[in-house]
Amino acid sequence: MTDRRRINGPPSGTRPPVFAAGADRPAVRPVRQRQPTELRKLFLKTGLIPSASGSAYLEFEPSASLAAARATPTSLIPPSSALKLTCTVHGPKPLPRSAAYSPNLVLTTHVKYAPFAARQRKGHIRDASERDLGVHLETALRGAIIAERWPKSALEITVTILEAEDDRWYGDAPDAHDASWGMMNVLAGCITAASAAIADARIDCLDLVAGGVAAMVYAEEEEEKGGEEPRGRKLMLDTDPAEHRSIGSACVVAYMPARDEITELWLKGDSGGSHEGLIDGAVDAARGAHGVLAEAVREGLSVTN
Amino acid sequence: MSRHRMKTVSYDDDDDYDDYEEDDGYASPDPEEQARLEQCIQDVLSQLRGGEPSVSASREEVTEALWHYYNDVTKSVNYIRGKKAKEVQKQPPKKGTVSSYPLPPSWSSACAVPFSAAEFFRDSPWLNVPEHRKADIIVEPLHPRLGLLGGAPEAGGKVSKLAALAAARKKKESEKVAASPSPVPTPKAEEQKPEEVGDNNNPASAPSRSLLERLSSSHNGRQLKPAEGGLGGLRALGKGSRMGGATAPTKKSSLEKEAEIRAQTKPGSVTQPAKGEEKETAVPQQQDEQQAPVVNMMASPSTFATIIVGDATRPVAAAQSSHLKVQSVDVMDIYGQDLTEAFDFAGPSPDDLVLNAQSSAKGFKSKQPASKSKKVDLTGGMNNLSVEEKVSIKSKNLDVLSEYKKVERKKAASFVVIGHVDAGKSTLMGRLLADLQAVDARTLEKYRREAEKIGKGSFALAWVLDQGSEERARGVTIDIATNKFETDKTAFTIVDAPGHRDFVPNMIAGASQADFAVLVIDASTGNFESGLKGQTKEHALLVRSMGVQKIVVAVNKMDTVEWDRERFEEIEQQISSFLTAAGFQPKNISFIPLSGFHGDNVTRRSEAPQAAWYQGRTLIEELDTSEPFSHALEKPLRMTIADVFRGGVQSPLSISGRIDAGSLQVGDQILIMPSGEKASIRSLEVDSAPADWAVAGQNIVLNLANIDPIHLRSGDVVCSPASPIQNLTSFTTKVLAFEHLMPMLVDIHRGRLHVPGRISRVVATLDKGSGAPVKKRPKIVAPGAVARIVVEMDQAVPLEAPARIVLRAGGNTVAAGLLES
Repeated sequence: MTDRRRINGPPSGTRPPVFAAGADRPAVRPVRQRQPTELRKLFLKTGLIPSASGSAYLEFEPSASLAAARATPTSLIPPSSALKLTCTVHGPKPLPRSAAYSPNLVLTTHVKYAPFAARQRKGHIRDASERDLGVHLETALRGAIIAERWPKSALEITVTILEAEDDRWYGDAPDAHDASWGMMNVLAGCITAASAAIADARIDCLDLVAGGVAAMVYAEEEEEKGGEEPRGRKLMLDTDPAEHRSIGSACVVAYMPARDEITELWLKGDSGGSHEGLIDGAVDAARGAHGVLAEAVREGLSVTN
Repeated sequence: MSRHRMKTVSYDDDDDYDDYEEDDGYASPDPEEQARLEQCIQDVLSQLRGGEPSVSASREEVTEALWHYYNDVTKSVNYIRGKKAKEVQKQPPKKGTVSSYPLPPSWSSACAVPFSAAEFFRDSPWLNVPEHRKADIIVEPLHPRLGLLGGAPEAGGKVSKLAALAAARKKKESEKVAASPSPVPTPKAEEQKPEEVGDNNNPASAPSRSLLERLSSSHNGRQLKPAEGGLGGLRALGKGSRMGGATAPTKKSSLEKEAEIRAQTKPGSVTQPAKGEEKETAVPQQQDEQQAPVVNMMASPSTFATIIVGDATRPVAAAQSSHLKVQSVDVMDIYGQDLTEAFDFAGPSPDDLVLNAQSSAKGFKSKQPASKSKKVDLTGGMNNLSVEEKVSIKSKNLDVLSEYKKVERKKAASFVVIGHVDAGKSTLMGRLLADLQAVDARTLEKYRREAEKIGKGSFALAWVLDQGSEERARGVTIDIATNKFETDKTAFTIVDAPGHRDFVPNMIAGASQADFAVLVIDASTGNFESGLKGQTKEHALLVRSMGVQKIVVAVNKMDTVEWDRERFEEIEQQISSFLTAAGFQPKNISFIPLSGFHGDNVTRRSEAPQAAWYQGRTLIEELDTSEPFSHALEKPLRMTIADVFRGGVQSPLSISGRIDAGSLQVGDQILIMPSGEKASIRSLEVDSAPADWAVAGQNIVLNLANIDPIHLRSGDVVCSPASPIQNLTSFTTKVLAFEHLMPMLVDIHRGRLHVPGRISRVVATLDKGSGAPVKKRPKIVAPGAVARIVVEMDQAVPLEAPARIVLRAGGNTVAAGLLES
């Protein structure tokens, strides 16, 4: 008779947790080692989930500080995180009988963080930010999909975020109240992955729509090394929010290069009148992601055909 | 008049308009009018130019307008203004590259001019819009607002005059509405003359261009590069083209260099594409460096991704970056301490140790056994609450089987006597018992006297077995009667079965207790034939289907046919062919001519000279040759209750029956099914002698205790509590059909047990030899065929797999067979 009143320990031995005082080694804020216009590399792969009509997996290359921390760990807390997400596309499938007639493809998008995705644990019910991301993603894709080719059909796009971008460095987190900048990177990743998954599902689109992020970053005094903008904002493409102490404004675009069109634009924060530069930066970032996107879609096609 | 009206309402209809002019010949050559017209034209033109916004119109247009408005200058000016504004509105969809998204995708014609937010928003300040640039935006509704147009639909092409009239009026009204609330011209019209718009708010120094111009220029750009197609064109979207105005035209091949260039451009400052020509030159220059950035952006998968994607798909060329190497991070290494040892969860937990120590210190035993003993007490207490007086019988705990083997005993056999009514079954058995001194002479004499008293002297012997008053009065056996006798070798149990067709269920009960059968046939003229039609055949079939292998045919009443040998052989031939067909093996069939009333060839040879031809065995000799029958001693206990009765003061509740399988002994707990009640054996009798144990094959009487009589009925099954028989409401059986079978109501007989039920479906008819299905789901089963059927009953009945059952319907046996599941 096994003891069912308690949660039994593992069959083999383990070690009890050690709560070490880490005060002697203060945590160091990661520093951006990329050029302002240098993007993080992407890994994108389509067709991973056989049960879905289309699917994609996307991850950002870990930033230099994160890679270094992983190689030689000095703390159990990773200094930053790198986006990892999966996207599944189900459909086009017929609308249920009960649904009203629709001459266009009915697009529904769900964005869900895995409970372990962020440093703060996420619940199983979608919260406001997740619903917000879903709406943004839908806007971005609606402009790209040729919806009237699929009347009376539904398309369901589900994005599961396995590892989210940090909103800010975890050391700053307790006393920071500014916007959640990580959401912007997550949205950009969602757009790129969803576009790949839609292409994998063979749904007609105007173009592959790629997401890109740019941000106006307030320069840190000690690390400013002769930038053009004296003691002020600086445009950074593909920002990792953990690497910056203060982000003034950020912008996400969903961009279709072939038509030179923006389907989704999300600008957050105070850019001080330089919106255009911010948008252009985001478009540049999207253009970079588009190259990977096109390559991944082509690779997916060559595998299946 | 009507024509004039016609003209005024269709003033904006260009096609019709020209026709009217030519056809009418209204233009008069009168010089005075010419001069006036010229004056009006000049007025209109000057007003158009001088007005806000300024509009340039050709002379012809003005002339036309004046002619329509009867040289009314103000009306003509308004008309021309409206017309020009409309033209501006119409132009973009004709020429523009910006297509709304429902248009089919144009992959081949990639947009050569890249998007620049700076350019896009150039002329529109984000905040602090100057007052003069603010305007009410009036969106012209797609459909006329209200009212029916009537006539043919517009899509049909041809519009009726009435509909056209109504449409025109409606349009005019809407125009009026649009014009009146906006004294400030619409932005569209404003863009017509950008030079007038002050660029005081625009930080860009370059002269701003109108949307129209930009659209047309981008359109030109597209036209210039039609060959550039697909993804090549897509990649050719150079950043430099946008930054072209500010960046140096020096092109470097690597991404880093390009990134440097991009870094040099200030993000805040809005750069301006200088001219269309420069754009065109920039695009081809970009083409040679398009590949590098795409490849460079590809990352190799992380460890996690490799697991998901699989190793095979990892790009080979991608360099292994440092984060790919799997490190097994040991926490202890990071914190540099080895304070703790791994805890082994196999032993008791520290809590357990403490609790055990505490309880032992207090002198208690561990908690678990204490509660257990308490539980036992509780259940014991519940049992003691029984109202009945508990009888505890001590079992001797014998090993019944070894006891059975130890005892040297005679062969035991039981046989059932069957045959048509009045074949002399009971008389024959009575004779057998009388001649073997199983019944004492005084009793026999008493029966004889009593029988003669009621005028039935010939029934005296039958009364040995027919004990019931009704049986004696009617002269027929009603219920089975058992009796015993012994020869030198064997102890026999006679089961005398009724022959009358009304009592076949009782006969079935008797047959189920028998090892072999004695078929009594009336040899007298006419009676044999009627018997053959009657129960002789049915009984033979029934005993065969009850599993009886051996049958002794006693051809009775041979004295009435003068021991006619031919008659005997005729009967022998008919009966043996029938029995062989019924499934008896010829070696198991024997025929004896005899006379039960006189006793010839029963226990002694016939002394009649006519019977001298028969030199075979007598009945008792034949019975003695029967081989011992094996019974399933090892199997769990099964006994069908034949009778429930009150045995006496000492044994207030007794049951009798024959043990089908297993063994029992005094003190055993037994389970009665279907009631599911338990009883214990107070004492038992084997063959009317007290015994401590009994085994399968023995006819026993059990005196029970600790059970209410209402739980006991004849036909119930006694079994051991360890392996109880199941109560079934439905079972599958393989039957031999005697009558037509179809889904119908039947009685199910098994020994004493008989319950109503129904054949719910016929699964298949089977081949008699192999048992393989011949026809699936037949509608009806013909007599003589073997079929597998499903029988359902209303009440649960204790039945077990190798049980022999008989199905009867309407007083006839319709089928007999073996229960399968």
